[in-house]
Amino acid sequence: MDLSIVVPLYNEEESVKPLYDAITHAVTPLGIAYEILFVDDGSKDKTFETAKSIAREDKRLRVIKFRRNYGQTPAMAAGIDKAKNEIIITMDGDLQNDPSDIPLFLDKIEEGYDIVVGWRHKRQDKLITRKIPSKIANWIIGKVTGVPIKDNGCSLKAYKADVIKSVPLYSEMHRFIPAMASLAGSNVAEIKVKHHARKFGVSKYGLSRIYKVLLDLLTIKTIVSFTSRPMLWFSILAIPFLLLSAITLLIFVLMFFSEGIGSLVIMASLIIIFTASGFFLIMGGALGELIYKTGDMKVHELALLTIKDIKNQ
Amino acid sequence: MDEQKELAVIVPVSERYDNVIGLYNDYKAGIELYTKDYEFIYVLDGDFPDVEKLLEKLYQDGEPIKIIRLSKWFGEATALTAAFKKTNGKNILTLPSYYQIEPSEIIKLLERLNEADMAVAWRWPRKDSAFNKLQAKVFHSIFNSIIDDDFHDLGCGVRALRRKVADEVPVYGDQHRFFPVLASRRGFRVEEVKVEQSQRETKTRLYKPGVYLRRLLDILTVFFLAKFTKKPLRFFGLIGSATFALGGLLLIYLLIERIFLGVDLGDRPLLLLASLLVVLGVQIFAIGLIGELIIFTHAKDIKEYTIEEIV
Repeated sequence: MDLSIVVPLYNEEESVKPLYDAITHAVTPLGIAYEILFVDDGSKDKTFETAKSIAREDKRLRVIKFRRNYGQTPAMAAGIDKAKNEIIITMDGDLQNDPSDIPLFLDKIEEGYDIVVGWRHKRQDKLITRKIPSKIANWIIGKVTGVPIKDNGCSLKAYKADVIKSVPLYSEMHRFIPAMASLAGSNVAEIKVKHHARKFGVSKYGLSRIYKVLLDLLTIKTIVSFTSRPMLWFSILAIPFLLLSAITLLIFVLMFFSEGIGSLVIMASLIIIFTASGFFLIMGGALGELIYKTGDMKVHELALLTIKDIKNQ
Repeated sequence: MDEQKELAVIVPVSERYDNVIGLYNDYKAGIELYTKDYEFIYVLDGDFPDVEKLLEKLYQDGEPIKIIRLSKWFGEATALTAAFKKTNGKNILTLPSYYQIEPSEIIKLLERLNEADMAVAWRWPRKDSAFNKLQAKVFHSIFNSIIDDDFHDLGCGVRALRRKVADEVPVYGDQHRFFPVLASRRGFRVEEVKVEQSQRETKTRLYKPGVYLRRLLDILTVFFLAKFTKKPLRFFGLIGSATFALGGLLLIYLLIERIFLGVDLGDRPLLLLASLLVVLGVQIFAIGLIGELIIFTHAKDIKEYTIEEIV
């Protein structure tokens, strides 16, 4: 099976050459065809020039240059989009991941997994600012999605190309690919990888704040488990309001006959607010249904793809 | 389309226009300092019979002019987009249909295109009345602080750009003012060039209140487009959860009063407000989710990045 290695780079001029050497050193002995895709995410330093000069000598290296800095997920998405081979491996460009782990990933893919995720079990980062927030985030992600992956943030991952190419990648979604794919029915494996402390430069992609992770998570959860039935999901959201409306109505009726406790106007208004919002949400669900029907991305297609893969083996 | 011109000059004609022929000749003189290989494209944004007649006369005199007439008023940005589609000029220059800068200064912008993808005019020093200056200053300081950018003269329609900018940056409706902002968001190198303001543009302009309101809405639109198009839930979620939290706090306060102080709940208008806020919060959040659904279902068409080069 052929291999594409995608590496986003942002202001990594010192790392480019060692990284390229490490990758070729790790992959060449395997005797498989491979290509390396460096994605220059709008670097301000000489990253692109350095990569370009290597690419001139090695046809297996391709370099994609972004017009400006867009972030890690778009960089990976671009690399994945241009990758030509059946297996895609993504990794960080800062030498914190070790390319010598690549063969382990290939073994797992050959065992039949669709996605193999790295777990930096001896992580070389600051405890307070990076390790603890990431532990919390991973725990929450695991709880909500039901896919207990210990390290969603590790960039070193391997995918079957047709699985990853069918997953929508935008914003900071790369964090959730395993969760998303697994919810759609893919087989996900997790293996321990080496992790090195930074040699050059400073950390550029900080751990995004917990708020963003939470919202993204909610999005993923909604999308994966409910996209195909938004009506149902919104109706569930509407139930408490409709219930409240019914309860208030009951109180209203009781009050009407026993008068003297509170204002009928306020009670009546409450009923109206709750009922209206309940209906609003149901209508929202109908709108969602419409959007999903007319859109061209269907969650069940992700699942179908996986089933097809299993049959092929 | 005919052979490729070095420069396409686009002049959208909207509500405001000066002496058509005089302006044309002035512009022409200014452009010929730079190149002789050019064509003019006038876009009439709606019906302007008198302007059209004058332009047709120029055309019959052998001037390199194309005329595009839009069926109704669409806004200057739509007019520009229409013209972009009708030309294959290597570089593009947009000019207003009235005097904004000294035509002899145009060459400065065109020369800047050697380094930048887009060069926009910055009328400096402003010779305007104090009121005009104040208006512009207030607008730009609000704009720059919200968008976190550094533009000084978005109101000036004189802009030189490379072909690819016109091809890749979609503008429509009233967004022509933000064309440079949108271009720089897409990663193009946009530079401001100081040029001399036209002597004739000094009248104090006081617009109707509706115009100011529209400007404010424009800022909001661009802000939303720039920051949250890919992540609607971040935007709606923040507002929604804040509203929800406020309503929730009010409810808790009311409950505490009810349980511990024995204040009746049934006749308190505050209860209405609290419930309204909670309900509103959930609804705003729900809209955010619908937005995410839209983005997700179209994720295959959305490219977040622009590639400059592949080696």
